[in-house]
Amino acid sequence: MTPAVPLGAFIAVSAVLFFIGCAGVLTRRNAVVILMSVELMLNAANLALVAFSRRFGSTDERGSVFVVFVFVVAAAEVAVGLAIVLSAYRTRPVVNVDEAHAMRG
Amino acid sequence: MSFDFLEVAIFAILTIAIIGAGAAVVLVNRITSAALFMAFTFLCMAGMFLLLGAETIAAFQVLIYVGAITVLILYGVMFTPQGPRDQGLFFQKQTPWAAVLVALIALPVVVLSFSFKDGRPLPRGGDLVPLATSLFGDFAFPFEVASVLLLAALVGAIVLVKRDDEETR
Repeated sequence: MTPAVPLGAFIAVSAVLFFIGCAGVLTRRNAVVILMSVELMLNAANLALVAFSRRFGSTDERGSVFVVFVFVVAAAEVAVGLAIVLSAYRTRPVVNVDEAHAMRG
Repeated sequence: MSFDFLEVAIFAILTIAIIGAGAAVVLVNRITSAALFMAFTFLCMAGMFLLLGAETIAAFQVLIYVGAITVLILYGVMFTPQGPRDQGLFFQKQTPWAAVLVALIALPVVVLSFSFKDGRPLPRGGDLVPLATSLFGDFAFPFEVASVLLLAALVGAIVLVKRDDEETR
């Protein structure tokens, strides 16, 4: 029996969401929105991992194990990223990345 | 009578919601709206995981992404003032080049991604037991390393946002 929704459709949705996040990282000025776009890209990768793990003929759930690790890394990344944004804002009150070009503290 | 059309319909609704809300995160000017659109994208992604039969991952998605990460992002929005800006200022100067570059890479990737064919699907009946068997069996050492990473991120975040203005207190 073949599934009603093919694997390629899930991968295509994942690719579209990944490139939406990619465009957000490249074009937005606000540092918090850039972090949100990075989260979108990570989540798109999660969808591809789960789809391949469930549908590509694997024998166990190893792809989903990587999704769990991506969850861990995403949580750590957003915590440290927001801390960097906040401490940079405290040093110089700008939140747009193209204005915060001086890296010295 | 087959209910396969229901799966296709749910997939279509979730696809439209994910791509629409994902595009709204990038295009909407108000930061709070962008954060809530991001939470909606994550919620629809949990539905996608349910459609694939990965119930445990869907539960983790709701707990970690829709719960924790959205709250963290909203904290970040609250602590940095977001004044109203005119439409021309919330994109960077290199936006046309970036859009062309992303579109050039995205088109072949999206077209190629339809070429993946289904293998033998995993049996239904939940992914909790195989997930836990892999995670605590073969991947026990990476699991412990992940806990060290979380501890390091916790300490790092606290150190980064700690105020060191002893003289003002």
